[in-house]
Amino acid sequence: MTETTHRGCPVTHTDYTQTTPIYEHYALLNADREKERFLFNDSTERGFFMLQRYEDVQAGFQQHQNWTTAVRSALRPGIGEPLLPQDLNGEEHLKLRKILNQFFAPAAVRRLEPLATQRCIELIEELKPKGSCDFVAEFAIRYPTDLFLALLGLPVSDGEQFLEWSEELFSAMLAGEPERAAAAKKNIIDYFETALEDRRANPGDPETDMVTRLLEARIDDEPLSREQIHTILLTLMLAGLDTTRSALGYIYTHLATHDEHRQEIVDDPDLIGKAVEEFLRLYPLVFQAGREVQSDQEFEGLQLKKGDVMWIGIGQANRDPRKFDDPDEFIIDRPGANQHLAFGGGPHRCLGMHLARLELKVVLEQWHERIPEYRIAEGAELTERGGQLTLSTLPLEWEV
Amino acid sequence: MFIEIDGAKCMGHGRCYAVSPDLLSDDDEGFVAERGTSWEVPADLLDQAHEATDACPEGAIVVTATAPADA
Ligand code: HEM
Ligand code: SF4
Repeated sequence: MTETTHRGCPVTHTDYTQTTPIYEHYALLNADREKERFLFNDSTERGFFMLQRYEDVQAGFQQHQNWTTAVRSALRPGIGEPLLPQDLNGEEHLKLRKILNQFFAPAAVRRLEPLATQRCIELIEELKPKGSCDFVAEFAIRYPTDLFLALLGLPVSDGEQFLEWSEELFSAMLAGEPERAAAAKKNIIDYFETALEDRRANPGDPETDMVTRLLEARIDDEPLSREQIHTILLTLMLAGLDTTRSALGYIYTHLATHDEHRQEIVDDPDLIGKAVEEFLRLYPLVFQAGREVQSDQEFEGLQLKKGDVMWIGIGQANRDPRKFDDPDEFIIDRPGANQHLAFGGGPHRCLGMHLARLELKVVLEQWHERIPEYRIAEGAELTERGGQLTLSTLPLEWEV
Repeated sequence: MFIEIDGAKCMGHGRCYAVSPDLLSDDDEGFVAERGTSWEVPADLLDQAHEATDACPEGAIVVTATAPADA
């Protein structure tokens, strides 16, 4: 705590892992960014160098030859589930991404749109007569879970059961309880295995059926192992469900408290695509990507050593006033498609970005057609989880 | 005016072809199909070329007055 510089870099102590009132993390991120161009944060055991300005963050994502995902989160280096494709780097990573990309490209995601729309309508119609709900638990997590199952060719009717297991795994992982996590993981893997078994017996079209493709794929003439396939499926679940829930939570909090913006998209649903990009910029929930430096190097004056942990500050970049005018404001038609970095950059950029965009767009369209006016229940106290942001609850009410 | 797309920088964010559908297209992995090439932009599509440049979060697209030397 006494050190004021670390290898010449100014030191900060900001703790980004705490549960706080909503939006507090954005204030912390803004404050750190405006303190100094680079900071060394000593709030964790290993500490980390923080890249914070848009240009530095973009450049950081392009350092992938030397900065690898041996550390995935600057806040939790060295622990966590094995993940694929995240844990791979260089050529190996590209080869696996090549297999997966085609199922997450815009063209593939468009094939899911009819089902995504239908499922969304069903969930909204179920909630509508109630006049209120906890949006996080009753909608925002259920919807991506159902679509995840659909993506794997599994019945969405398994959603409820699957959700129980995935929530148990999330909470056990966050609480750092490996035994409870292992039990939850086993249920999920067993469930995946039934789908894999079915597809081994009755292969689908590998061009459109992801499970079949994973079973048939070859990397350097070798099939993926059973374990690798399990890890990939588990990764998609861990990377895709909590994030989408979180994005929806922030978007609906914003719309429930800004009538003028809600009215804009109710009046002109064609604005929703742009609104989604601007929401992603303004409310980045993965606010940092971690990397580990593989060899001594200078980066923009920082003296880096092998083993250093880097914080690539997505949250700071997305609200950097050097890049975006009035960065803390929601401006529906920011020029262009706005170059936010909410999905990261470089070779590890989010695999699910186009699916996430589709999900958010469909929800905003279908919900506002059916429930154009809603508010946050009086007295609700909104809090956000540190580490990777998500709202714990969001009680909404509307007239029926 | 010429447009040039850096094939090494393009990571498949898909913003460029979303804003410039008449100038750019997507391949089946989600990258811009024209990555790694450059060509002269028809005058009526110049606005789209600039929009594509402004949309790419990797800085992979540039619009220049002269043909890129090594293209
Ligand atoms: C709004 C929702 C989402 C946000 C904000 C988000 C954000 C991100 C970010 C910032 C990264 C890069 C991490 C890094 O560079 O270390 C990432 C990677 C990833 N995301 Fe997403 N994500 C979202 C939704 C999804 C969905 C729906 C899926 C899948 C169904 C998904 C799957 C992945 C995977 C597999 C990676 C790792 C890619 C790699 O390492 O090659 N994400 N995501
Ligand atoms: S926006 Fe940039 S990174 Fe994305 S596809 Fe286009 S050129 Fe590639």
